[in-house]
Amino acid sequence: MNSVFADPAAWPICIVAGLLTLAGVLLAGAKIVPTLLSDIVTLAATAIAGGMAAVLAMRIGDHPALYWMGGWTPRQGQAIGIAFLADRAGAGATAFAGLMFTVAIWFARGHFAGARNHFHVLMLLFLASQCGFFFAHDLFDMFVWFEMMSVAGFALTGYALRSPSLDGALNFTILNTIGAYLILMGIALAYARANALDFSAVRAIAQGQPDDPLLIAAFVLITTGFLTKAAQVPFHFWLPDAHAVAPSPVSAIFSGIMVSVGLFGVARMVWEVFAPCPVVRHLVHVGLMSLGCGSAVMGAVMALMQRHVKRMLAFSTVSHVGVALIGVGLLGQQGLGGSLLYLAGHGLIKAVLFMIAGIMLSTLGGIDEIGLRGAGRPIWPAGIVMGACALVLAGIPIGPLDAGAQMMDAQARSSGLHGLTLVIGFAGALTGGAVLRVTGRVFFNLGPTSGEEDAAPTDDEREHANRPFAAQLVPVLALLAVWVLFGIVFASGAEDFALAAARDMTLDADFFPRRGLPHVTPVLPWLPALIAMAIASADLNRHHIPDAVYGAFAGASRPAFRMLQAIHDGVIGEYVLWMMAGLVFLAGIAILGC
Amino acid sequence: MNAVDVSSREAQATIARRASVLRGAFAALAVALVVAAWPVMRAMPQFGAHPLIYGDRVNAIGPAERHITNMVSAINFDIRGLDTLGEEFMLLCTVTGGTILLRGGRGEDRRAQPGCVRGRANHRPPDSLRLLCRMLAPLTMVFGLYLAINAVLTPGGGFQGGVVIASALLLIYLAEGYAGWRDALGGEFFDAMEGLGAALYALCGFAAMGLGRPYLAVFLPLGSLKSTFSGGSMLIVNLGVTLAVAGGFATLLIEFMEETRALNPGDDADG
Repeated sequence: MNSVFADPAAWPICIVAGLLTLAGVLLAGAKIVPTLLSDIVTLAATAIAGGMAAVLAMRIGDHPALYWMGGWTPRQGQAIGIAFLADRAGAGATAFAGLMFTVAIWFARGHFAGARNHFHVLMLLFLASQCGFFFAHDLFDMFVWFEMMSVAGFALTGYALRSPSLDGALNFTILNTIGAYLILMGIALAYARANALDFSAVRAIAQGQPDDPLLIAAFVLITTGFLTKAAQVPFHFWLPDAHAVAPSPVSAIFSGIMVSVGLFGVARMVWEVFAPCPVVRHLVHVGLMSLGCGSAVMGAVMALMQRHVKRMLAFSTVSHVGVALIGVGLLGQQGLGGSLLYLAGHGLIKAVLFMIAGIMLSTLGGIDEIGLRGAGRPIWPAGIVMGACALVLAGIPIGPLDAGAQMMDAQARSSGLHGLTLVIGFAGALTGGAVLRVTGRVFFNLGPTSGEEDAAPTDDEREHANRPFAAQLVPVLALLAVWVLFGIVFASGAEDFALAAARDMTLDADFFPRRGLPHVTPVLPWLPALIAMAIASADLNRHHIPDAVYGAFAGASRPAFRMLQAIHDGVIGEYVLWMMAGLVFLAGIAILGC
Repeated sequence: MNAVDVSSREAQATIARRASVLRGAFAALAVALVVAAWPVMRAMPQFGAHPLIYGDRVNAIGPAERHITNMVSAINFDIRGLDTLGEEFMLLCTVTGGTILLRGGRGEDRRAQPGCVRGRANHRPPDSLRLLCRMLAPLTMVFGLYLAINAVLTPGGGFQGGVVIASALLLIYLAEGYAGWRDALGGEFFDAMEGLGAALYALCGFAAMGLGRPYLAVFLPLGSLKSTFSGGSMLIVNLGVTLAVAGGFATLLIEFMEETRALNPGDDADG
């Protein structure tokens, strides 16, 4: 082994280029390589990529290192080439992505029989582009990987090729392409001022001219693009449409890691490039936190109103990523670390839930909560897993999701924001309640009367997996085992790592230092889960609620529900208008903050 | 998403009302965005201003350190070669995705009659056209190769050259008709060309590492300025791009043409 490969700073490019090479070779052998062999090779590659990244995160430790491609190191202080940054934030995120892809590809065996090797090629490119994005230390290079990720996502969404799936894939493509276009304009503006694309170089210019309108506009445009990928209100409209139609292993990847990639991009931009601008810090603290709160609340309400299980899970993703966005907006190391941990915890649980949805599609032949009432009793183990995941989603005080929430909450309270617990609890209670309701109705035959979810859009689709129920459940249980490992066995290690990753990403700056605050009372953490159970049991026992009480409640809430349903009507023109409104909102905050 | 009856008069009135609201909202938002963009536009560098330190530096680096005269190639294949690696695989990703989406609808069966469109006669191309295309196709292909190889000296490169080579394939199709073209070429060949070409680029970076240099560093002799074989390993990565682009475009051509294939009774149009 050559000493060049032993340098951990060189590992990121080895991971990315290795995955790319393998994708090329697999495509070349599309007709020769049998599917089983490409399954094995792809699984091994994603697992090795994730494992290498995990070892890298350990070995690089407190000394993040830049690796200049082609040996083009900066000349007289000016960046010439492109660098990859090996730090714990990027390496940790890559390790997590490797885990998600390994499990999703394992679960997907049998789903994509018709696509043969092409599915593997796309998945390898999907993972490689995410790794490249996590390691990139250059605005345009980051954009290249971001675009590749989008292209792979578009193709995988439309795979089923039925007319609703093409609608969903088109909405996804159009909105994300507009987002990518905004990012490109933002990069152009940053280059116009800084004459460089390297993060550190642009940051140095921002330090010299912190009030420059070009840099602020660049941040607004780039952030809008990344928030579109992260599916934050009001840029989120593509997510439910795409999730509802994408094959479930692909949905697991979308919710598990792809939306988090958008948030990771926002955090990188904030901390590594634009943090010296006071207007940007104001924008992040006020604008992003309001968008995060809006997403957390609206996503949760929408999730409760759905009957199409994958749409429901998609809205719950909007809600939980909104909570994580608040963590980024807190502008402190602890908040950012909590946000990263929360995203990881959410990704694990959400991937499990999407795989359960996939099992429902393939074994029960549907995904409609009301239509499948009681149909799930023969596969009750899936129901138990789903119920447990619902409780975790609601925020029971175990596991990475809750640990991240507590870190964000501690940061918020030390900046004087005491309401964050309420937002997190609200998001958890409603989304957890919605999933619990599905569990009760589908797997335990409860809830003969339906309520507001009756009016939600639905679709009779099905997926065929050529594998028995038990074989599909194994990857699900494996992912749950990982959750137990990080949530219970290595809980404090995971927390420390998230903090260390946040320290790397913030370049050791801290705009709102934390103070040690006592955690809240022991009863309160269980409250969201209790409320979730209350919501689910109220929804499932509607036939026992006196008509007068129920009618009054339904009458009061119906106009709001109707309006929310009407906004999410799948009309692409309206979605684009909402994007414009979001852009105007962010720009307005930036202008007022000047 | 739900099917709604839009024929009734009330429905039409609702749609019209909604459309006017949307137009108003668009106008208001567009005005707001222009207002917000105003200070940004005022702060832009003057048109034609020349504070382009980076460009000047690259202009100095290209001839001096890489012995080449086309700076765009210096940026694409060396200084910012990683971006090109990403772009190349993005193309591969797009072509693969397109193939999946198109094949998903019609399967891969090649036995059925290709190149048929219902209601349109399938004439044999006239001899004059065939002669012209048979003469032009090899010339076009040589021109594509020239564009690709000469990238270190004059504008060109693997992307442009690859597209020109793929258009030579289109000329062969014009001359021979689709069925003959498909039999002569075959999609497997282009898959291999595309995948291996792209992999060649990535492997070229690893080769540099194997020789103890950074990823994608130059490891071949640089040659002399203004000679075709200058620029070191830029030639190899450029060749990889050429193969990948030509293979990718050819695959897309085949897949689009296959859309015209008449379906067999057994084929399921909806996958």
